[in-house]
Amino acid sequence: MSVLRRIANLFHRSKLNEDIEAELGSHIEMRTADNIAAGMSPKEARRDAHLRFGNRGAMKERVIAADAHTLLDSLWQDLRFALRMLRKSPGFTAVAILTLALGIGANTAIFSFIDAVLLRVLPVRDSQQLVLLRWSAHAKPKIHGSDGYGDCDDNARDGACNFSLSFFKTIRAENNAFSGMAAFAGPIDVDLSGDGAASIAQGTYVSGDFFSTLGVNAFIGRPLSPADDNLSAPPAIVLNYAYWVQAFGGDRSVIGRTVRLDNTPATIIGVADPHFTNLTPGKPQDFFMPISLVNRVRDQWAGHAPYLTDAGTWWLVMLGRLTPGVSVGQAQAAATTIYRNEMLHGATPAFKEADAPEIRLEPARTGLNGETSRFAPMLLLMMIVVGFVLLIACANVAGLILARSATRQKEMAVRLALGAGRARIIRQLLTESVLLSFAGGVLGILFSVWGVETIGKLLTRGDQPFPFVVGPDWRILAFTIAATFATGILFGLAPALRSSRIDLTPSLKESASSLPESAAYTGRFFRLGDALVVAQVALSIIVLIGAGLLVRTLQNLRDINPGFDTRNILLFAIDPNIAGYSDAQIQQLYGNLQERLAALPGVISVSYSEEALLGGGWFGTEIHLDGAPPKQDITNLKQLPVGLNFFSTMHIPILSGRAFTSADFAAAIANNAAAAAWGTLARANSASPSASSSAAVASAREAYDHAAPTPVIINEAFAKKFLPDRNPVGMHIGGGQWTDNDVQHPSPGYAVVGIAGDTKYAQLTADTGPILFLPIVGNSAHFELRTAANPAVMVKSVREIVSRAGENLPLTEVRTQTEQIDRLLFEQRMLARLSGFFGVVALVLACIGLYGLLSYEVARRTRELGIRMALGAQTRDLLRLVVGQGILLVFIGTVIGIAAAMGVTRFISAMLYGIHANDPATITGVAILLTLVALAACYIPARRAMKVDPMIALRYE
Amino acid sequence: MAKNDLQGSLDLLVLKTVSQMGELHGYGIVLHIQRASDELLSVEEGSLYPALHRMEQSGWIRSEWKLTETNRKAKYYRLTAAGQKELRKAQESFEQVVKGVRAVLRHAQG
Repeated sequence: MSVLRRIANLFHRSKLNEDIEAELGSHIEMRTADNIAAGMSPKEARRDAHLRFGNRGAMKERVIAADAHTLLDSLWQDLRFALRMLRKSPGFTAVAILTLALGIGANTAIFSFIDAVLLRVLPVRDSQQLVLLRWSAHAKPKIHGSDGYGDCDDNARDGACNFSLSFFKTIRAENNAFSGMAAFAGPIDVDLSGDGAASIAQGTYVSGDFFSTLGVNAFIGRPLSPADDNLSAPPAIVLNYAYWVQAFGGDRSVIGRTVRLDNTPATIIGVADPHFTNLTPGKPQDFFMPISLVNRVRDQWAGHAPYLTDAGTWWLVMLGRLTPGVSVGQAQAAATTIYRNEMLHGATPAFKEADAPEIRLEPARTGLNGETSRFAPMLLLMMIVVGFVLLIACANVAGLILARSATRQKEMAVRLALGAGRARIIRQLLTESVLLSFAGGVLGILFSVWGVETIGKLLTRGDQPFPFVVGPDWRILAFTIAATFATGILFGLAPALRSSRIDLTPSLKESASSLPESAAYTGRFFRLGDALVVAQVALSIIVLIGAGLLVRTLQNLRDINPGFDTRNILLFAIDPNIAGYSDAQIQQLYGNLQERLAALPGVISVSYSEEALLGGGWFGTEIHLDGAPPKQDITNLKQLPVGLNFFSTMHIPILSGRAFTSADFAAAIANNAAAAAWGTLARANSASPSASSSAAVASAREAYDHAAPTPVIINEAFAKKFLPDRNPVGMHIGGGQWTDNDVQHPSPGYAVVGIAGDTKYAQLTADTGPILFLPIVGNSAHFELRTAANPAVMVKSVREIVSRAGENLPLTEVRTQTEQIDRLLFEQRMLARLSGFFGVVALVLACIGLYGLLSYEVARRTRELGIRMALGAQTRDLLRLVVGQGILLVFIGTVIGIAAAMGVTRFISAMLYGIHANDPATITGVAILLTLVALAACYIPARRAMKVDPMIALRYE
Repeated sequence: MAKNDLQGSLDLLVLKTVSQMGELHGYGIVLHIQRASDELLSVEEGSLYPALHRMEQSGWIRSEWKLTETNRKAKYYRLTAAGQKELRKAQESFEQVVKGVRAVLRHAQG
């Protein structure tokens, strides 16, 4: 209360002044009257009354100061005094500031990433009004196709966020709850060629009202508008700002320029606002194109899906902007009514009444979580780790201050004796610690800038940069300031409370260095100091064990034998499909490339496959084992279409039978062509049925049914699992029979020509399962070059060969096989490196704490040590005395830390591989490591203790 | 250990005076202390008002503008409950000091 009044008085100074003036005036009047009554002349009487006050101006200032003094003034005084005290002990100050800067900097850096990944608002107008529409139902929808691009969580229980174009049009027309609606899908890889070389760009399909609904303007040109949704509208695209700068050098004349998207010409009509980087976190795109282009520009996996017309093809993500005054609940009910009506009674019903289909609205920011879910667990774990480091730093600095405050207790005693209040002393000490943490915070921000850069590199996955923009904003600033002050108070409070409770008499009588051990004060101090060291050791044990587990996980992953030789392989991907090649042309191109690349000096052999091994992705298929009941398929069997020489290039042994030959590829191509011919005829027939066309379909099917089985190679796991106790070479395997049609007309199936050794396919951590290798037919491919030496040097000549072999063939994902594996392990690598780094930091901090405590101990006990020596103690005894105390603390801390770690590490068990969360070897290793380093930290003060000269020590007084 | 600086004794004198007189202005306090101490103690006006202000801010006394008997406007001070407590404390500690000082003097004589 009085604090507030004083501050208020500061602002009412003029009023206060008047008040004082009046009071003094009345005083002087009364004195003058009395003086006159006592016989003075009026002039003399007034002069005397004035004189008694001395300098009136100065006194008035003192009255005012009585108000302000106790608060602001003394705060300034505290600050100056604190500065002086810190300058007096530069060593202590430097260590404390560095320690705090490390802790605060690490926290700021990690928080910057959390901020970027989890806390950023969407870069759109009034993002809180923007909602994401999700559907859910008790059953799976009966639809023809369902696409997702990873914008929101989709799972069986909660439904997903994809809708058909026709439903988007329906709800947009029928609802009143949304003032605007937008739909989008993608991004997909598009072969974008303008003036220069072709390149792959990421394009997102958006509805014409996308930009107006989000409230995003064009930086230059115009955004897409509903008119662009017309199928007859000239194709137009809007570039993302960053892509415009990167690919077009920020050239304003791009507006109106025509580029080719997978050979479809389109005009650049605008560049989006620079703030609008992307909608779904971590999913940037290079340009936006109208949904109406989907039939002309599409992903190679999209096939012939009728995106524009079919209500049973779900692929668009929908956003709505709530009409002002409409609540989320009302909008949800309105949307559900429309959805339910469409789904149950529309042209293509997807659900039954009992499935209770409904729409749920989620705030767009949390609903569109995209890449967030991939990074969030890692970052939160790191946040906990650096939180521990900050705690250790606090305990460390608290210990330093405590040791220092012991040497300052005389100062404190004098101040208390002179009448300083306890609160005043605590405030003085807290001012010092907040000043320290403030300096640490400033330095910490510098550290964090460096940290953000380093961690950003760790989060880069091959050529895929970290997909979030990390930059300073007010949240990070607020976080750092809060962390700084919380830190200052946290580490300053305990020593401050302790110091202000000094028993004055002994402190004033004795010098600090000769305090007897029995003094009540020292007893309490050392229990606190010990506790701080124990806490540091325990916390760093937890961090170290966590780091140890993550490092061992990375090691285990690296030690996995993938079943092929990963050294000296260069990988790159090309996609002739989007450049408009036909299957036959692709086949020819691949053969051509294979030959020319193999002729390069330093290249041993060349092959290609539809997926790169350990690339993270895989293809699945169904087969029907001969003799199994109809429709009893083996589903989700991993298959890998490969090129000629694949097994020899990858050093995968052929255990029996043979590898693929050119004849095998010819057979596969023939079968594929037969299937395609049948499919084309069947589609034509269903579009306009006629007797002649159905006869053509029947004969095409006949031809396909009687084709020779496609030659395949199976791996050992396949043979053991599905064809045990037989020699599979030469055996037939049927294609999938999952419909009655398939049962009636079984596909030619496969003939096993060889058995290959087991390899990992998509992931290192997955079990080595059955794989079916097929001869590749068309499609995109990853090339593998086995080189004699470092494969990275081949990149330039490879690019030349590819660009000579075909126009508009961008090379993507150029990397070595080891880089590819590193990319797979990037999460684990990042976790291992960061936690390892912070583990070492924690260890060093804890040991500095231990060292500080023991050094102080030795200095304080110099006289006692001298007496012991004088009485005949050996240096070995003194060594044991000092080291013993340190090791005891370390031991207690280690035990507590291990116990806590055993409870805590199970939370990261999902991130571990090949190691138990309570792995005894790791725990023991960490304990030994910490003990060894701690011994070194004890040894230095102990040596000082041994060098104590008894004569000097006793003369010290 | 008691506080016994000059400021402490001035506070004690003021508090005691205000408590005895019930309600008094600054000038009255000066006069009262002078009279009550048989002219032995005189309060410096220059220190009185800062002290009064500080005590008011600490909540020991309250002030109010009133008219004197001679119809002059003056600021009157009166003791609060906190001031009552403070007075008791100050009085005790002062007596301790006096006792201590007296003991020292006696010791020096003997």
